[in-house]
Amino acid sequence: MPRAAATPEDLAHWLARSALGDRAAFERLYEATCGRLFAVVLRIQRDRGLAEELLQEVYVTVWHSAGGFDAARSQPLTWLSAIARNRAIDSLRRAAARPAAPTEALDTDTLEDERPGPAELLQRALDRQLLGRCLEELAPPQRQSIALAFYDGLSHAEIALHLREPLGTVKAWLRRSLQALRGCLDRSH
Amino acid sequence: MDLRKPERAEALAAEYVAGTLRGGARRRFEALRSRHPELDDAVRRWEQRLLPLAEAVPPEEPPLRVWRGIERRLWLATPQPATGSRWLRAWQAAAGVLGVAVLALALLLAQAPAPPVIVVLQGTGAAADFSGGFVAGIGGDGRSLVARPLQPVAMPTDRVLELWAVPPEGSGPPRSLGLLRADGPTVLSRDRLPPTLLRGGAAALAVSVEPPGGSPTGTPTGPVVYAGALRL
Repeated sequence: MPRAAATPEDLAHWLARSALGDRAAFERLYEATCGRLFAVVLRIQRDRGLAEELLQEVYVTVWHSAGGFDAARSQPLTWLSAIARNRAIDSLRRAAARPAAPTEALDTDTLEDERPGPAELLQRALDRQLLGRCLEELAPPQRQSIALAFYDGLSHAEIALHLREPLGTVKAWLRRSLQALRGCLDRSH
Repeated sequence: MDLRKPERAEALAAEYVAGTLRGGARRRFEALRSRHPELDDAVRRWEQRLLPLAEAVPPEEPPLRVWRGIERRLWLATPQPATGSRWLRAWQAAAGVLGVAVLALALLLAQAPAPPVIVVLQGTGAAADFSGGFVAGIGGDGRSLVARPLQPVAMPTDRVLELWAVPPEGSGPPRSLGLLRADGPTVLSRDRLPPTLLRGGAAALAVSVEPPGGSPTGTPTGPVVYAGALRL
């Protein structure tokens, strides 16, 4: 049965209650956000077992640092997603070696795996008003670099490998795309 | 990492949020971020800019065992004997002292039905700069707790004090009771207190130094600077 989507105000309220030790509020928060955060973790850490473990760590951290959430500075979902992403990216560092070649996994953009690839996800994000408009302004390879880094947690070297471009070029693309995005987003606000 | 140039700090914050800042550089950046509020602000701004991208990822429901695991980690202590000896040493060092502060607390708790239990937490010497002590009063029904420093403790701005209930040796890891004010009394919310606090659930109280918001792991990560045995 689909639940009504929680509003940012709901999430902020449950976070505040969690900071006070309210377990029921924490459970509501989990129910409303676990699907999203699991998806974020799973994009980056593709080992499901590890991803489940990471998701537990994410919510344990959320419970303990809920008091640090400041509604004036962050959107609740942004704050939660940042914790999930950081934990997932750290897990890539911890793993002795990344499972298989990421380039191989990325070719599933179109087949096997029904999950949308980074390019398709970015396309969906493009449909979203402001950020989308700003992403549209980037040259395609630069856009792709951002998608590979953001959605799949690829490092500079892995992006270079995937796009078959020199490492220096990829670093410069990424740096410039982020600057351009910032310029566009800040201008429009 | 040279952060004197604002554009350099900005670029690093961007790569951090995009996910391409990796390995040692990522760790160093995180350490710097906790000490430099302007870097933290830059990260927050980048999160506001980029994280909406994550909304395009279709949600995926995790299996129920994930929630069960979270509940277990947060609220059900599982035996972790490895941490025992350090804790035992920390609180064994403590002994009873002090009259005035204890009396003041006893008055604060006078409305509780059973006589309050008073715990004196003394400096363990685990870190310099933490002199004095804390005194904690637990309502006789185990449903309220007030703790106060004997004298205000000067805290670094990026550190907080966290209070822990330490179970008898061998019966599990310490359990967080909440953050403590360093400059005055803290009244802990009653639903943070384990119901067994005064019924054998805790052998001692201890205070550790933690990052803002408290220990990120659920067990103490910083030095245990005050400790006191719970004598019933």
